[in-house]
Amino acid sequence: MLSYFSRTERLIATLLVAIVLVYIGWRAISSPEQAMQFGFNGLSVGAIYALMAIGFTLVYSTVWFFDLYYGAAAALGAYSVFYLRSQEWLGGQYQVNTPVVNIILAMVVAGVAAWVIHTAFYGRLREKVDPTVLRIVGGAVAMAIGAYTGLVLTFPSHLHVTFGPVAAVVIGIAAMWGIKYLFDRVSGGRGLQAGLVIGVLVGWALAVSLSLVFVMSPGSKLYLSWAVSCLLAGTVGLALYRGLYVRMRQRSRSPLIMLVASLGILLALTACISIVFQSAPRPLPDPFGSVPWTIGGANIKGFNFFAIGVAIVGFLALFSVLKWTSFGRAVRAIGDDEEVARVVGINTTVIVAIVFFVGTAFAAMAGILSGHDTAIQPRMGLLLLLKGWIASVVGGIGNLYGAILGGFVLGLIEQFAIWDLAGEWKDVVAFGLLILFLSFWPQGLLPRK
Amino acid sequence: MSNNGSQNNYYILETLDISKHFGGVSAVDGLSISIPRRGVTSIVGPNGSGKSTLINLLSGTLPLDDGIVVIDGQRLRTIHAYETPDHSITRTFQEVRLFDQISVLDNILVVLTTRKFWSAVFERTSRQHRARAQEILEQVGMWEKKDSLAMDLSYGQRKLLEIGRAMALNVNIYLLDEPFAGLFPQMLERVKVLLKDLRDQGRTIIFVSHNMEIVREMADHLIVLDGGKLLLAGEVEDVLNQPEVISAYLGT
Amino acid sequence: MIANLPGWQRLTGFLRNPREALTLSRGNIELWANLLIILCALVFMLLKGATFAVTLTTVFGIWAMLSISLNLVVGYTGLLSVGHIGFFGLGAYTVAILTSTTSYENLRTGEIPTFGWPFFAALPVAALVAGLVALLVGIAFNRFRDDIYVLVSFGFAIISFNVFLNLRVLTRGAFGIHDVARPQIGSWVFDTELELMLVSLVLLAIVIGISWFIVSSSFGRVLKAIREDEQVAEVFGYHVTHYKLAVWVISAMMTGLAGGMFSSWTTFIDPNSFILLESILLVSIVILGGLATIWGSLLGALAFVLLEEGMRFLPFLPQEYVGQARQVVLGVLLVVLMVFRPQGLVGRFKL
Repeated sequence: MLSYFSRTERLIATLLVAIVLVYIGWRAISSPEQAMQFGFNGLSVGAIYALMAIGFTLVYSTVWFFDLYYGAAAALGAYSVFYLRSQEWLGGQYQVNTPVVNIILAMVVAGVAAWVIHTAFYGRLREKVDPTVLRIVGGAVAMAIGAYTGLVLTFPSHLHVTFGPVAAVVIGIAAMWGIKYLFDRVSGGRGLQAGLVIGVLVGWALAVSLSLVFVMSPGSKLYLSWAVSCLLAGTVGLALYRGLYVRMRQRSRSPLIMLVASLGILLALTACISIVFQSAPRPLPDPFGSVPWTIGGANIKGFNFFAIGVAIVGFLALFSVLKWTSFGRAVRAIGDDEEVARVVGINTTVIVAIVFFVGTAFAAMAGILSGHDTAIQPRMGLLLLLKGWIASVVGGIGNLYGAILGGFVLGLIEQFAIWDLAGEWKDVVAFGLLILFLSFWPQGLLPRK
Repeated sequence: MSNNGSQNNYYILETLDISKHFGGVSAVDGLSISIPRRGVTSIVGPNGSGKSTLINLLSGTLPLDDGIVVIDGQRLRTIHAYETPDHSITRTFQEVRLFDQISVLDNILVVLTTRKFWSAVFERTSRQHRARAQEILEQVGMWEKKDSLAMDLSYGQRKLLEIGRAMALNVNIYLLDEPFAGLFPQMLERVKVLLKDLRDQGRTIIFVSHNMEIVREMADHLIVLDGGKLLLAGEVEDVLNQPEVISAYLGT
Repeated sequence: MIANLPGWQRLTGFLRNPREALTLSRGNIELWANLLIILCALVFMLLKGATFAVTLTTVFGIWAMLSISLNLVVGYTGLLSVGHIGFFGLGAYTVAILTSTTSYENLRTGEIPTFGWPFFAALPVAALVAGLVALLVGIAFNRFRDDIYVLVSFGFAIISFNVFLNLRVLTRGAFGIHDVARPQIGSWVFDTELELMLVSLVLLAIVIGISWFIVSSSFGRVLKAIREDEQVAEVFGYHVTHYKLAVWVISAMMTGLAGGMFSSWTTFIDPNSFILLESILLVSIVILGGLATIWGSLLGALAFVLLEEGMRFLPFLPQEYVGQARQVVLGVLLVVLMVFRPQGLVGRFKL
């Protein structure tokens, strides 16, 4: 997209922005404690925007259409945490554990599991094993996974017992493979045996100890509920991709049609959430206690530090995966040109599916954090999504560094703007910023190469 | 080359030192060419030599970075796309760009109707416009297809319709980007006939082509570009007999 | 005349040879969509009686005005605007502020100015205000396209909602404005449902007339060309930005008109009528009915109104969930349409 403004007009805009920044700086110097407070608030809100923008950027720069399901994913994640934890906090007052929802979600999970099993194993094992047996076994495994999901959802108060060991085993296996992978890289294949042995030992030790921790301490339910929620939202995203978007992309529908379809999904899911949970705002209690810490005259909640940490860790993890693994190279290749990537032999369907899953999980995490920070309501998703989008425009569309930078910048600007304006105007500020950026610096702070 | 275009009636279109850069790459680099009034001028050159960029610059589709374009004696530093009909210029595109989801007839009519903003609201399709559209569609052989959507046509038909749409705009200079590419022989002949008709009406046709046979047959003048710079220009036979052209660009 | 409406040209063939209508072709789907929705409307009227039908027609008139004016922008010009609810709200608030006579001194929002204008004086002002804002917004938005356009129009909807909610000196924020005047000519006050329906339908007729006049002219053809390829339209000598701006302003003015009608019909407005979600519903009506046809927008609005009222019939659906259930149905419909019929039921343009 070209900027239609001449150089001088852009210069004037830059000057105006500079004046505003200088004004904010002057305010900050004249009352540093307040500035500290606003800065911290901005960073913690920005962390949520950054998480949203990272997931959004990952997907947008791969498939190049704007997926509004992201908003619903954030709400889904937050409500899933609410669902899994509500009995505990609210004494069963808002218990909404309906069998219908459990069954639908279990079916979605089973379907996705079936697809994953099919793409991962069917082609490889077809020659060796009778296809009918394979199908039956695969179907049974998928149904078992679905049934297990139903079980987890039906008994959220025993989450640490039902889901904890599984999470522990998954983490253990991941650790095992990670150690083996590192050994392979470091020793160039010579340390394979040793790596395998150490990896297995460490992995299983981790799994066993973690599952003990999970089962013993009910407090771990919080983190487990986050994991389950991200998984659920990601699975629903994956199901949508596989069931709908792949089909539409095969019919080579234009990006706008995809956008409208995802608008329909957003509409339907938001309404579903408000039917199940009512549309009034609900609290998600602060897991770190509401007593603030005082740093440099500013009151900061422990949770805010945590949110910033999650955003940075999420960014680093995603960044390193995209930079250093073959998966990351495949993602970038698809983003540059999907046809070419397919010709080169990349399984684009699977890669894009993983991208959807990961991106949606990021959105769910953003929704959860935002819910813990303020409150949840069914409509929260769309606004979060738009903020994530603004953040990625501010940072530079399609650039992962830009996404995290844009998130924090947006959060800070929103907070510093309401220093002088009233708090109600912060959405107006955010969208004003968007229009300013799109008009004068459409490439954002860090343009995509 | 004349610095004072208005005095010179032989050239209808001149460029003086025009340049266009994309990032660090110069697509057109200080190019000065002159295109004679009337007749057919062909622009040839290897891929990436700036042929399409030149067409885009002359039709205002891309803004000029530097240099002057003289159109019929008028010196211009910038050309706005919407002014090109006033300068008596129109163009076609390398990849056919029609108004896809409206009918073939409307594709022609949209070119014929008024450019005046407010009168457009009160203007209905007049009999003259319809007659003119019919004339053009019959010329390109697509009158019986007038009600189908432009997107439903075959590639050759789309190409013809695009040329027809350009013809509907009654101008002096036609910039045609690869009008012969990818056409079956039958369609090819049809395009040739259309262009010859235009030439015989005394218009100036500038076309880009890769096909040397067609260039030899159709063109009167030839401009050879390389790397955004002018390599050679002149009468077709003179240029084609230059040894470096033969060896470097035209094969045998 | 009726043969010009999308779908109806098949009717003669259908009457001559009923079997022909069972094949799955474009014309037949359109014809069936038409017949089905109109049949539903008739059945509904018979079941619920005339009074209810009159109210419903008023609502239909407002939604139809909205969807027709939005269709000018989305269907004919190809700008997918999700922000039209802002203009709707502007129109509604202008009429409400200008006509309301109640003084609110006892409320803590402070006093808001009351003007006590008659409705028919306030209505043109509402259209003008919406048009003026649209002009400014349009100048800023004109450079954007496709999904960026969707984003900035989302932005406009959210900004205008925030303005309605927070500009308390004019709008009384969340308290809303009461006692919006009913339409009145001389001493004839349009305060029965039937009279309101009359006003709504007259306004709808005006909107249809203006829209039809525009889309059937050369101007309309240029709009479609711009929708297909802006750059080429420019090469053929059209100031694309002027055309886009003009249709945007006209559409906003008609939306403002609908807003004025809405606020006079309900006599009470608050910001919750103008949330982003309503705007999304509006876009889905336009797409559902069909892009780039006026008839399609009428059909879409009719289907939408019927859907909401029809759902109240469902025995297993508690009343408080009707709105949400309608959203679910609309969302699913939107997805299905995008997969199988991206131009909507009787549309002439695929996004």
